[in-house]
Amino acid sequence: MKTPLRRGATALASGLLAVSLAGCVDSDRGSSSPAAESDCPWEPDDSITTTARIAWQAIPNADLVVKDLGLLEACMPKADISWVQAPSGGDVVKYYGSGDVDLGLMGSSPATIASSEPVVRDVDIAVVWIHDVIGDAESLVVKDPAITEIAQLKGKKVAVPFSSTAHYSLLQALDEAGLDASKDVEVINLDPEKMPGAWQGDQIDAAWVWDPVQSQLLAEGGERILSSADTAAAGRPTFDVGTADRGFVADNPEFMTQWAKAQDHAVEMIESDPETAAESVAVVLGIEPADAQKQFAGLTYLSAAEQAGPDYLGGKFVQDLLTTAGFLLEQGGIDAVGDEAQYAEHVDAAPAESVGE
Amino acid sequence: MRDRLPDPRRLALHVTSLSVLILLWWLVTRLGLVRPLFLPPPGDVWDAFVRANSDHPISAGSERMVRGEQNYYLWEHLVASLQRIAIGVGGGILVGVPLGLLMGATWLGVLLEPYLNFLRSLPPLAYIGLLIVWFGIGDTSKIWLLFLAAFPPITMATISGVRGVREDQINAVLSLGASRRQSLTAVLLPSTLPEILTGVRVAVGFAWTTVVAAEIANGIPGIGGLAYLAGEQLKSALVIACIVVIGVAAIALDLGLKSLEKVLVPWRGKA
Repeated sequence: MKTPLRRGATALASGLLAVSLAGCVDSDRGSSSPAAESDCPWEPDDSITTTARIAWQAIPNADLVVKDLGLLEACMPKADISWVQAPSGGDVVKYYGSGDVDLGLMGSSPATIASSEPVVRDVDIAVVWIHDVIGDAESLVVKDPAITEIAQLKGKKVAVPFSSTAHYSLLQALDEAGLDASKDVEVINLDPEKMPGAWQGDQIDAAWVWDPVQSQLLAEGGERILSSADTAAAGRPTFDVGTADRGFVADNPEFMTQWAKAQDHAVEMIESDPETAAESVAVVLGIEPADAQKQFAGLTYLSAAEQAGPDYLGGKFVQDLLTTAGFLLEQGGIDAVGDEAQYAEHVDAAPAESVGE
Repeated sequence: MRDRLPDPRRLALHVTSLSVLILLWWLVTRLGLVRPLFLPPPGDVWDAFVRANSDHPISAGSERMVRGEQNYYLWEHLVASLQRIAIGVGGGILVGVPLGLLMGATWLGVLLEPYLNFLRSLPPLAYIGLLIVWFGIGDTSKIWLLFLAAFPPITMATISGVRGVREDQINAVLSLGASRRQSLTAVLLPSTLPEILTGVRVAVGFAWTTVVAAEIANGIPGIGGLAYLAGEQLKSALVIACIVVIGVAAIALDLGLKSLEKVLVPWRGKA
């Protein structure tokens, strides 16, 4: 007997089957196919069979070059490497929390959050690399051409994505100019992509933001009056850092060496062959290579040797985390500022050092 | 049937209104009334659509070829989202229908209905973070989210279907010697089927709106994930292309379900 019910079940089942069969879309296809069959620039290490899951973000630095050129895959042919895109550093911390990634890129603010109470109880990561020092890539753009100094922003509305490195830089700059961020200026939380609309409608007077929105606001007649390069010069640098699960680092020192070598190679490429590097970045970001190359100028890239030195991972970086923690405590991002030893525990210069060996 | 225009004339009406709409859109952008960032011209949207469905060089004159957007063609993004919806809603049907029958026919309904209502009224964005912590950032958490969005409406619809069945009909087959089981498969289910199908249509609609939210985190491939990324990069033309594709796919899906309704429950509305 062919009941409507049975017919229904058959139709439904075949419909579902059709969709699932027609859609053999592989979720794990890397988000960019390698430029060519790229070779490892040094002797590949066949002995590494680690499974590594790496969280990346759409920031124009060497990490994207490594990803696009498939350097890790080429240098560790037996390793199982997967890349996961994260919309923000906060999300990368979340991914660590759920045990979904082993390495990840984040700003110095999320890295500090991950090393402070209460998040430090759930995730155990170390900063192992500095992908870039943020310079003009993040800047304060104002709408009124009469405003040339940050002090003139008194009573104005400034947009910034909260908890970001830009938020940190803005509050530092306001503080330096003697303005109270909670009284003198109206600082509002806004995602970058929503800023052009708010700007157009005169709902904000200024924004501290990165590309492509920064370029967009500048093109619309905005003026850059300060950038993260200025706050860095004033002793409050912000970074994009590479982090790794501490257990993973302890178990896989050879992997970390190869990883750091690949990063170092890509950093060198940005310096010596920016066209090729920009092409890789452009492929991953889906932008024009010329735009990618322009964005390089807003960030400072450090070689492994520089990173391992006393100005960065080998020394002062712990202080930078501590300062950032003080700021985050005021903002309510963390529960308590740990002591210096606690932050030192979450900085590991060994992979960067191993590149030179 | 309500009176309606004959098919060719209906088609002509739709085609005309769509052309006028696109013409207006083109005119507004052409006259420079709105800047391209806010509303790109139709030509740009078409270009973005074609680009997203083809292999193209990264920039004019470059030898480096790129596949679609984010290394997937637009249709692959769409299929990936449809797959998630199919699995989520499929699970919703498998769980929702039996649960609805149970809740409608027994005291379980009284017990479970508050929980079902609670779940139904939650916005999916509120608990996606929790699902990510539980199930990771892969497809599992997204499918769970779609399942949780899809099964309450199916269950609710099934319950109301069961409650709408006249007791006389059941008693009639029982008195004619049918077993309990037969009364279920021959009377209860067929009479509930129209309601279940409506529930499935509502669930698919929910799943569509939810999938876009679910794909904000690690949603490539996925049409919602692509729309989100494109928005972040201020690629308005691609965002609109994605929106149009999402809308057209949703309408096509709903039309498909509607015709399924016609095949399965031809008696609907004629009793």
